[in-house]
Amino acid sequence: MRELIAAPLPGLDLRQHYGHHQSPAIRAGGLIFCSGMLPIDPGTGERRHGTLTSEAHVIFANLKLLLESAGSSLERLVQVHALIYDSIEYDVLNRVYRQYVANGPPARTVWTAQIEAGFKVELDVIAVA
Amino acid sequence: MSPRREVIVASPLARDRASSADRAVSTLVKGGDFLFVSGLAAVDPQSGERVRGTTASETRHILGNLKQLLEAAGSSLDKIVKVNVLLHSMLEAPNMNEVYARFFPDPPPARTVCGARLPDDAKVIIECTALA
Repeated sequence: MRELIAAPLPGLDLRQHYGHHQSPAIRAGGLIFCSGMLPIDPGTGERRHGTLTSEAHVIFANLKLLLESAGSSLERLVQVHALIYDSIEYDVLNRVYRQYVANGPPARTVWTAQIEAGFKVELDVIAVA
Repeated sequence: MSPRREVIVASPLARDRASSADRAVSTLVKGGDFLFVSGLAAVDPQSGERVRGTTASETRHILGNLKQLLEAAGSSLDKIVKVNVLLHSMLEAPNMNEVYARFFPDPPPARTVCGARLPDDAKVIIECTALA
Protein backbone atom coordinates (compact mmCIF):
# COMPACT_ATOMS: atom_id res chain seq x y z
CA MET A 1 0.00 0.00 0.00
CA ARG A 2 1.45 3.30 -1.17
CA GLU A 3 -0.25 6.51 -0.27
CA LEU A 4 0.25 10.08 -1.46
CA ILE A 5 0.83 12.76 1.15
CA ALA A 6 -0.36 15.97 -0.46
CA ALA A 7 1.18 19.37 0.16
CA PRO A 8 -0.38 20.88 3.34
CA LEU A 9 0.11 24.35 1.84
CA PRO A 10 0.12 25.24 -1.87
CA GLY A 11 3.74 26.47 -1.90
CA LEU A 12 5.01 23.03 -0.92
CA ASP A 13 3.71 21.46 -4.12
CA LEU A 14 6.89 21.63 -6.23
CA ARG A 15 5.17 19.74 -9.01
CA GLN A 16 2.69 22.54 -9.42
CA HIS A 17 5.17 25.37 -8.97
CA TYR A 18 8.24 24.04 -10.72
CA GLY A 19 7.07 21.04 -12.76
CA HIS A 20 9.11 18.57 -10.71
CA HIS A 21 7.56 15.17 -11.34
CA GLN A 22 7.36 14.16 -7.69
CA SER A 23 4.94 13.90 -4.79
CA PRO A 24 5.68 15.90 -1.61
CA ALA A 25 5.82 12.62 0.32
CA ILE A 26 4.71 9.00 0.08
CA ARG A 27 3.55 6.81 2.97
CA ALA A 28 4.36 3.11 2.64
CA GLY A 29 5.23 0.24 4.94
CA GLY A 30 4.81 2.35 8.09
CA LEU A 31 7.26 4.98 6.87
CA ILE A 32 7.01 8.40 5.26
CA PHE A 33 9.43 9.16 2.43
CA CYS A 34 9.74 12.88 1.75
CA SER A 35 10.96 14.46 -1.45
CA GLY A 36 14.06 16.61 -1.03
CA MET A 37 13.05 19.53 1.19
CA LEU A 38 14.07 22.97 -0.02
CA PRO A 39 13.78 26.52 1.35
CA ILE A 40 10.55 27.39 -0.42
CA ASP A 41 7.92 29.77 0.91
CA PRO A 42 5.11 27.41 1.96
CA GLY A 43 2.42 29.90 0.99
CA THR A 44 3.64 31.16 -2.37
CA GLY A 45 6.17 28.58 -3.55
CA GLU A 46 8.80 31.31 -3.97
CA ARG A 47 12.43 30.43 -3.41
CA ARG A 48 13.82 31.73 -0.14
CA HIS A 49 17.53 32.00 -0.81
CA GLY A 50 19.67 33.08 2.13
CA THR A 51 22.43 31.88 4.38
CA LEU A 52 22.68 28.18 5.10
CA THR A 53 21.21 28.90 8.53
CA SER A 54 18.20 30.86 7.23
CA GLU A 55 17.58 28.28 4.50
CA ALA A 56 17.71 25.47 7.08
CA HIS A 57 15.14 27.26 9.29
CA VAL A 58 12.72 27.47 6.35
CA ILE A 59 13.33 23.83 5.46
CA PHE A 60 12.69 22.57 8.99
CA ALA A 61 9.52 24.67 9.22
CA ASN A 62 8.32 23.15 5.94
CA LEU A 63 9.29 19.66 7.03
CA LYS A 64 7.40 20.10 10.30
CA LEU A 65 4.28 21.21 8.38
CA LEU A 66 4.52 18.31 5.96
CA LEU A 67 5.17 15.62 8.58
CA GLU A 68 2.51 16.90 10.98
CA SER A 69 -0.06 17.05 8.18
CA ALA A 70 0.62 13.34 7.73
CA GLY A 71 0.31 12.56 11.45
CA SER A 72 4.06 12.33 11.97
CA SER A 73 6.55 14.86 13.36
CA LEU A 74 10.20 15.90 13.52
CA GLU A 75 10.53 13.65 16.60
CA ARG A 76 9.71 10.66 14.39
CA LEU A 77 12.49 11.16 11.83
CA VAL A 78 14.56 8.00 11.39
CA GLN A 79 17.02 9.03 8.69
CA VAL A 80 18.25 12.31 7.27
CA HIS A 81 20.47 13.02 4.30
CA ALA A 82 21.68 16.59 4.57
CA LEU A 83 23.05 17.95 1.32
CA ILE A 84 25.11 21.11 1.64
CA TYR A 85 26.75 23.20 -1.08
CA ASP A 86 30.17 23.34 0.61
CA SER A 87 31.64 21.24 3.40
CA ILE A 88 33.06 24.39 4.95
CA GLU A 89 29.53 25.01 6.30
CA TYR A 90 29.34 21.70 8.16
CA ASP A 91 29.57 23.35 11.60
CA VAL A 92 27.00 25.96 10.60
CA LEU A 93 24.62 23.19 9.56
CA ASN A 94 25.12 21.41 12.89
CA ARG A 95 24.33 24.50 14.92
CA VAL A 96 20.94 25.03 13.30
CA TYR A 97 20.20 21.31 12.87
CA ARG A 98 20.62 20.60 16.57
CA GLN A 99 17.79 22.98 17.46
CA TYR A 100 15.25 20.82 15.62
CA VAL A 101 16.30 17.33 16.68
CA ALA A 102 16.95 17.90 20.36
CA ASN A 103 16.00 14.48 21.70
CA GLY A 104 17.37 11.27 20.19
CA PRO A 105 18.36 12.68 16.81
CA PRO A 106 17.83 10.55 13.69
CA ALA A 107 20.55 8.72 11.76
CA ARG A 108 22.20 11.20 9.44
CA THR A 109 24.65 11.53 6.57
CA VAL A 110 25.94 14.86 5.32
CA TRP A 111 27.58 15.38 1.95
CA THR A 112 28.42 18.10 -0.49
CA ALA A 113 26.39 18.28 -3.71
CA GLN A 114 25.07 20.66 -6.30
CA ILE A 115 21.61 21.61 -5.05
CA GLU A 116 18.89 22.89 -7.35
CA ALA A 117 18.54 26.62 -7.98
CA GLY A 118 21.78 27.35 -6.12
CA PHE A 119 20.33 26.60 -2.68
CA LYS A 120 22.80 25.99 0.14
CA VAL A 121 21.07 23.09 1.85
CA GLU A 122 18.51 20.36 1.16
CA LEU A 123 17.16 17.69 3.49
CA ASP A 124 16.14 14.26 2.26
CA VAL A 125 14.34 12.42 5.04
CA ILE A 126 12.46 9.32 6.13
CA ALA A 127 10.16 9.37 9.17
CA VAL A 128 8.00 6.84 10.97
CA ALA A 129 4.38 7.34 9.89
CA MET B 1 9.58 -18.08 7.60
CA SER B 2 11.02 -16.10 4.73
CA PRO B 3 14.43 -14.53 5.19
CA ARG B 4 14.43 -10.93 6.39
CA ARG B 5 16.92 -9.96 3.73
CA GLU B 6 16.96 -11.44 0.27
CA VAL B 7 19.18 -10.69 -2.69
CA ILE B 8 17.14 -10.77 -5.90
CA VAL B 9 19.17 -12.36 -8.70
CA ALA B 10 16.44 -13.01 -11.27
CA SER B 11 17.10 -9.79 -13.09
CA PRO B 12 17.14 -8.99 -16.80
CA LEU B 13 20.35 -6.99 -16.65
CA ALA B 14 23.34 -8.83 -18.09
CA ARG B 15 25.65 -7.72 -15.33
CA ASP B 16 23.55 -9.64 -12.83
CA ARG B 17 24.12 -12.87 -14.72
CA ALA B 18 27.79 -12.80 -13.78
CA SER B 19 28.61 -15.20 -11.00
CA SER B 20 27.92 -13.80 -7.58
CA ALA B 21 31.66 -13.92 -6.80
CA ASP B 22 32.22 -11.29 -9.48
CA ARG B 23 29.73 -8.89 -8.02
CA ALA B 24 30.51 -6.34 -5.35
CA VAL B 25 26.97 -5.04 -5.60
CA SER B 26 23.51 -6.59 -5.65
CA THR B 27 21.19 -4.68 -7.93
CA LEU B 28 18.09 -5.49 -5.89
CA VAL B 29 17.85 -6.43 -2.26
CA LYS B 30 14.58 -7.17 -0.51
CA GLY B 31 14.28 -6.27 3.17
CA GLY B 32 11.05 -6.03 5.16
CA ASP B 33 8.31 -4.60 2.96
CA PHE B 34 10.79 -2.96 0.64
CA LEU B 35 13.00 -3.56 -2.37
CA PHE B 36 16.18 -1.51 -2.38
CA VAL B 37 17.60 -0.89 -5.83
CA SER B 38 21.24 0.06 -6.38
CA GLY B 39 22.13 3.19 -8.29
CA LEU B 40 21.72 2.38 -11.98
CA ALA B 41 23.73 3.93 -14.77
CA ALA B 42 22.64 3.59 -18.41
CA VAL B 43 23.52 0.13 -19.75
CA ASP B 44 22.34 -1.92 -22.70
CA PRO B 45 20.11 -4.62 -21.17
CA GLN B 46 21.32 -7.27 -23.63
CA SER B 47 25.08 -6.75 -23.57
CA GLY B 48 25.44 -5.04 -20.22
CA GLU B 49 27.66 -2.45 -21.91
CA ARG B 50 27.47 1.13 -20.73
CA VAL B 51 25.45 3.34 -23.04
CA ARG B 52 26.80 6.87 -23.33
CA GLY B 53 24.37 9.51 -24.45
CA THR B 54 22.66 12.68 -23.38
CA THR B 55 21.13 13.12 -19.97
CA ALA B 56 17.73 12.51 -21.57
CA SER B 57 18.74 9.31 -23.38
CA GLU B 58 20.61 7.93 -20.37
CA THR B 59 17.55 8.63 -18.20
CA ARG B 60 15.38 6.76 -20.72
CA HIS B 61 17.72 3.75 -20.69
CA ILE B 62 17.90 3.65 -16.92
CA LEU B 63 14.15 3.88 -16.35
CA GLY B 64 13.45 1.29 -19.07
CA ASN B 65 15.86 -1.09 -17.34
CA LEU B 66 14.46 -0.23 -13.92
CA LYS B 67 10.95 -1.10 -15.10
CA GLN B 68 12.14 -4.53 -16.28
CA LEU B 69 14.15 -5.15 -13.12
CA LEU B 70 11.27 -4.34 -10.81
CA GLU B 71 8.75 -6.36 -12.81
CA ALA B 72 11.08 -9.37 -12.88
CA ALA B 73 11.19 -9.11 -9.08
CA GLY B 74 7.39 -8.90 -8.79
CA SER B 75 7.27 -5.16 -8.17
CA SER B 76 6.71 -2.29 -10.61
CA LEU B 77 7.33 1.40 -11.25
CA ASP B 78 4.06 2.31 -9.58
CA LYS B 79 5.23 0.66 -6.35
CA ILE B 80 8.27 2.91 -6.06
CA VAL B 81 8.09 5.12 -3.00
CA LYS B 82 11.30 7.15 -3.29
CA VAL B 83 13.77 7.92 -6.05
CA ASN B 84 17.17 9.58 -5.78
CA VAL B 85 18.49 11.02 -9.02
CA LEU B 86 22.15 12.00 -9.27
CA LEU B 87 23.09 14.21 -12.21
CA HIS B 88 26.50 15.26 -13.47
CA SER B 89 25.13 18.80 -13.61
CA MET B 90 22.00 20.35 -12.16
CA LEU B 91 21.68 22.33 -15.40
CA GLU B 92 20.45 19.04 -16.86
CA ALA B 93 17.63 18.62 -14.33
CA PRO B 94 14.88 19.79 -16.75
CA ASN B 95 16.12 17.35 -19.44
CA MET B 96 16.00 14.49 -16.94
CA ASN B 97 12.63 15.59 -15.55
CA GLU B 98 10.95 15.65 -18.94
CA VAL B 99 11.86 12.02 -19.72
CA TYR B 100 11.28 10.94 -16.12
CA ALA B 101 7.71 12.27 -16.14
CA ARG B 102 6.76 9.87 -18.97
CA PHE B 103 7.63 6.80 -16.90
CA PHE B 104 5.80 7.47 -13.67
CA PRO B 105 2.11 7.20 -12.94
CA ASP B 106 0.09 9.54 -10.80
CA PRO B 107 0.94 10.20 -8.02
CA PRO B 108 4.67 9.95 -8.71
CA PRO B 109 7.12 8.77 -6.02
CA ALA B 110 8.86 11.14 -3.63
CA ARG B 111 12.12 12.24 -5.21
CA THR B 112 15.40 14.02 -4.53
CA VAL B 113 17.58 15.31 -7.37
CA CYS B 114 21.11 16.59 -6.86
CA GLY B 115 24.28 17.19 -8.83
CA ALA B 116 27.31 15.04 -7.97
CA ARG B 117 30.53 13.72 -9.44
CA LEU B 118 29.55 10.39 -10.98
CA PRO B 119 31.77 7.40 -11.82
CA ASP B 120 32.53 6.19 -15.34
CA ASP B 121 31.47 9.47 -16.98
CA ALA B 122 27.82 8.72 -16.24
CA LYS B 123 25.50 11.66 -16.77
CA VAL B 124 22.75 10.16 -14.63
CA ILE B 125 22.50 7.59 -11.84
CA ILE B 126 19.11 6.62 -10.41
CA GLU B 127 18.48 4.62 -7.24
CA CYS B 128 15.16 3.85 -5.64
CA THR B 129 13.18 2.15 -2.91
CA ALA B 130 9.99 0.30 -3.87
CA LEU B 131 7.39 -1.77 -2.11
CA ALA B 132 8.23 -5.44 -2.71
